[in-house]
Amino acid sequence: MNRVLYLEFERCIGCRACQAACRECGGHDAKERNYVEYIDFMESRQTFPMMCMHCKDPACARVCPANAIQITKDGVVLSAMEEKCIGCRNCTFGCPFGIPKFDFEKNIMYKCDMCYERTSQDISPMCASVCPSEAIRFIGFEEMMELRRKRAQSNLLQGKKPTEQNKWNFVPETFGVYTE
Amino acid sequence: MATETKNLHRKGESFIPTHCSYCGMQCGMNIRVDDATGNVVGIEPRYEWPVNQGRLCPKGVTAYQQVEHPDRILRPLIKRNGKFIEASWEEAYDLIERKFKEIATKYGKDALGVYGGVSMTNEKCYLVGKYARVALGTKHIDYNGRYCMSSAAGGFNATLGMDRGSTLPWPDLLHSDCFFLAGSNTAECHPTSITWFWRGRDRGAKLIVADPRETPTARIADVHLDLKPGTDSALANGIAHILIKEGYVDNEYVAQRVNGFEDLEKMVERFTPEYTSRLTGVAQEKIIKAAHMYGEAEKSVVMFARGVEQQRKGVDNVGSYTNLALIRGQIGKFASGVATFTGQGNGQGGREHGQKADLLPGYRKLTEPKAVQYISQVWGIDPAEMPGPGVSAYEMLDSIHQGTVRAMHVICSNPAVSSPNAQHVWKALEKLEFLVVNDFFLSETAEFADVVLPTTTWAEDEGTTTNTEGRVIKINQIRKPAGESKPDWQILSEIAARMDRGKHFEYENAEQIFNELRVASKGGKADYYGITYEKIEKQQGVFWPCPDLDHPGTPYVYQDSFPTPDGKANLRVVDWQEAGEIQSKEFPEILTTGRVVFHYLSGNQTRRIDFLMEKCPEPYAEMHPEMASKYNLQDGEEVELETRRAKMKLKVRLTKAIRKDTVFVPYHWGKELSINQLTNPCLDPVSRMPEFKVCAVRLRKS
Repeated sequence: MNRVLYLEFERCIGCRACQAACRECGGHDAKERNYVEYIDFMESRQTFPMMCMHCKDPACARVCPANAIQITKDGVVLSAMEEKCIGCRNCTFGCPFGIPKFDFEKNIMYKCDMCYERTSQDISPMCASVCPSEAIRFIGFEEMMELRRKRAQSNLLQGKKPTEQNKWNFVPETFGVYTE
Repeated sequence: MATETKNLHRKGESFIPTHCSYCGMQCGMNIRVDDATGNVVGIEPRYEWPVNQGRLCPKGVTAYQQVEHPDRILRPLIKRNGKFIEASWEEAYDLIERKFKEIATKYGKDALGVYGGVSMTNEKCYLVGKYARVALGTKHIDYNGRYCMSSAAGGFNATLGMDRGSTLPWPDLLHSDCFFLAGSNTAECHPTSITWFWRGRDRGAKLIVADPRETPTARIADVHLDLKPGTDSALANGIAHILIKEGYVDNEYVAQRVNGFEDLEKMVERFTPEYTSRLTGVAQEKIIKAAHMYGEAEKSVVMFARGVEQQRKGVDNVGSYTNLALIRGQIGKFASGVATFTGQGNGQGGREHGQKADLLPGYRKLTEPKAVQYISQVWGIDPAEMPGPGVSAYEMLDSIHQGTVRAMHVICSNPAVSSPNAQHVWKALEKLEFLVVNDFFLSETAEFADVVLPTTTWAEDEGTTTNTEGRVIKINQIRKPAGESKPDWQILSEIAARMDRGKHFEYENAEQIFNELRVASKGGKADYYGITYEKIEKQQGVFWPCPDLDHPGTPYVYQDSFPTPDGKANLRVVDWQEAGEIQSKEFPEILTTGRVVFHYLSGNQTRRIDFLMEKCPEPYAEMHPEMASKYNLQDGEEVELETRRAKMKLKVRLTKAIRKDTVFVPYHWGKELSINQLTNPCLDPVSRMPEFKVCAVRLRKS
């Protein structure tokens, strides 16, 4: 996979098209696997998309006693394998982002698989392809590096804007997963 | 600009490109069809469509779910002893014919009313007008766009001489330097437009938003003008005052292309920042800053939506904001001008071809003998038979109480939810001697009906719509009509035949109707004559006016002159007026209504879709914590809202992102959850638009 999922929280308008689209992806069983949250509805309508980070060393996979959470060669952390998942819900407690969810009817964990059916063929995942504000983008590494060096255009919730001197407080130096 | 181009092709499925069924953005999308069954199974982004480049909102993503929905009405329904019984088309038509003829004979033809809608193709909208005037012979026809676009239409007609919702194509927004959004919560109501603004912001363009709430759109604005509902024209006059005072006027443009500048200058003299601030409740610094931002921009766009239009002075508000673009010399140029966000899918096209009470196809006036003559000839009727102008939507519903209208045919609309002073409207619908409703779901209005005729969804018929830019586009047929449902044009033609006017309605497909519409609109202001289905496919939509077959269409209107008698635009010089209802001791707060991103208009479609209902199951009263503490209300508690018309109970939602004197309630629900029970039916004198956006309300903890 030569592209990454790039999130720009300030652009999010809270429309949840990403969630509606997530349900539409093949094999997602009409369940959304990404989440959109208000930061503090009392203060502002700012929302942010909470997506799976597809960690390099994912806590969910690490705490799975049945090895049901597979990681593909290009770094995508998949949803639980039906054959292996024992329904212990360790992963749902292990993930610091609250991404894995548990389906009590089917007794299985489900989570974002970055629309692997699509991304494995270099097709944008559903959430990124529909996002009307471009808060979620599926872009090449070069474009990502260029974007994150830019000044954010929008006020963050506290009314602070990153400047050239402190933008590193806003943008981590490395994040997510990228493999050559 | 769209970086994405690839779609996922699945085995045993194919795509059909079409457009969304909902708002005026008319986003392009691909609908997935199962090859074996022909059923609609999902969506795929359509990247090559220039307006949205594959992006969709949650309504668009789930729109296809209407088609195979279990709530679909698949056979005609006739009410017997208060219950709907399935019937055959023949039975339904027999009853309609008998009743319509009975009522027309007894009370005259004008006792029949037709209430159309603009969530339909141009072909259908055109036919609704023809059906009312030729098949039923009634003057009582109007449509739900009266509650949506009529003020924009009135304002543009008066100021610019023509009503086309936008003076520029949307992709141009990428190059604008300043966006002034008034009364538009773009992020929630037209989400796929937001990209253009955000990308503009990336270039350093400025964003100004005038809205009583700090919506997701206003949150990111450079200046958020949090004005008191109902004070829009005061704000616009205040900004015009600063533009004139500080030398931001494009004198050359004004001298050559605009009338009434001296009058405007005199009138806005009073609207100093201090006075404007007092009227609107917006801080002076913000007004000044916004005026400077707008004035300094080389290419700027003023855009507005229902927030400024759904008021007693909606036409004046539209005119006042358009003034800003005119004195800055912005209209008729690349990447600048004015635009209104069309609410309904075909809000633009649906108002051009004869659904309005006083208009004939091509935006011709019923009061002009020449227009009547021409259209009568196209329709093959005697000009003397052409009924005169009727009354507006709310007035027509109101006239049921006086016994003027006694039977009604509602076509793809839900006035029981969308009309102001709803309880009054419900009584009217009950009082009707006979009501026919065309719809594919049993709407709140259909529940009042004597006969419900099952129509097709947008995916089961083809036709054209005109999007918010004025671009005429093609809706493609995805599958055959479900059950026994029929497209509206076929239903209307068949009823016309029953009314002995069949020879005027002999159509085999939508394209034939479109070709007749082309001829009917020829020479009118909204000229579609040069637009054909092939041309739409070839050019990715055609902008009207397009007067002949070799004409490429008109993306930029008013480049050289305005379609007014002297070729100049007329500034709308109007002093500010209070809203129809202002706060008083008895009703101390302001109630405003609007939309949420998950629902569309009366909610008849979106309230049946699981995802959208999960995200927003019921209406709520959004208010500032300071207002809530006055009434001792906590978040999530129930509050009783009461206006001079009715009262209702709602859950409270607290946020500081709203004015302290304003309560906001979304309007997408019917019956006891309908906020329109409370709204004020006070009408704009020109557009006859009710004042949905402002009324006085009192709160009580329930």
